[in-house]
Amino acid sequence: MVRWSESPYTWPHWPAPSNRRGVVLWTSKQRTPPPGNARTADVWIIVPAFNEAQVINTVVRELRSTFPHVVCIDDGSGDGTADIALAAGAHVVTHPVNLGQGAAIQTGVEYARSRPGAGVFATFDADGQHRVSDVVAMIERLRGGDVDIVIGTRFAPSSAGRTPLLKRVILRAAAWLSPASRRLGLTDSHNGLRVFNRTVADNLTLTMSGMSHAGEFVALIDENGWRVTEQPVEIRYTDYSMSKGQPLLNGVNIVFDGFLRGRMRR
Amino acid sequence: MSWIQVLLISAVLALLVYLLRSRTNAKAKAWVKVGYLLFVITAVYAVLRPDDTTVVANWLGVDRGADLLTYALVIAFVFTTLSTYLRFKELELRYARLARAVALRNARTPEH
Repeated sequence: MVRWSESPYTWPHWPAPSNRRGVVLWTSKQRTPPPGNARTADVWIIVPAFNEAQVINTVVRELRSTFPHVVCIDDGSGDGTADIALAAGAHVVTHPVNLGQGAAIQTGVEYARSRPGAGVFATFDADGQHRVSDVVAMIERLRGGDVDIVIGTRFAPSSAGRTPLLKRVILRAAAWLSPASRRLGLTDSHNGLRVFNRTVADNLTLTMSGMSHAGEFVALIDENGWRVTEQPVEIRYTDYSMSKGQPLLNGVNIVFDGFLRGRMRR
Repeated sequence: MSWIQVLLISAVLALLVYLLRSRTNAKAKAWVKVGYLLFVITAVYAVLRPDDTTVVANWLGVDRGADLLTYALVIAFVFTTLSTYLRFKELELRYARLARAVALRNARTPEH
């Protein structure tokens, strides 16, 4: 099992870009429909969190300023993450033991899909690296009705130059190594930001508990024939999320688990 | 019969007894047991007549019977390692499902 007590739910993190324009915190003043708005009433935001007590309050409150339904999956944290998230207005599901981010996402989806009226689901990392405005835009994209799932990408042509060359090459190579990712034309399958509909939520069965779930997600999209598209998003590289970044070496685990996946009974 | 032969044969027989006593209910394990029985017979034979393994080795283009046994051991080890890895993965998945069921039962909803 991949231990990730030192690593967050996001892979990989890059060093801070020289122009740190992504750092400014998103504020709720930007085009915010009030909670309970008809556009957001059927949306569930799934936030897997492991020892994120420092930031979980801000992240949940930011989300709650737009979305009425937020579920935080506390993955066996020892720092009170669950209580803080609950106080901030999130539903909280607590794993009795640490299972890994993939398991946390699966738990969150199973919780959200059992709630009455749930129709749109989004995964959102707990360390504050995503922007709520990106989720809003991705939900609009999903509501177009021609796709089942929208995945965020940090490699859109407009932002491609901001990732260090070596890491960009390695990540693109990792994407190329995955046949499913190649077939679907995905460029950033390890982005934590995903928005999907009921079809995907009802049939999602992530079995990789640790950090290899992103590749598994892509494989499931491929196997089930879900219609997928990418949407450019911005990643906020705060000092906090940087300090929790996973070493690139973890990519070896992810690739290895991806190869073994087909040989497992489900 | 030398002492090492006595030791090896009793070890193999002890393993056989252990295997037959455990997991008696699983029908799917029957072939594993048949295979294991063959392995025990071969092992006892090889212990009693070690030179015969060299004859088999020569059929396969290997010089010494001991070398042949080493190769077989390496293959068996790799196989065991991989099947253990997959078994652990499967157990991990069951464990995750159990923990998930517990977690979903104890979900907390916010007051506002």
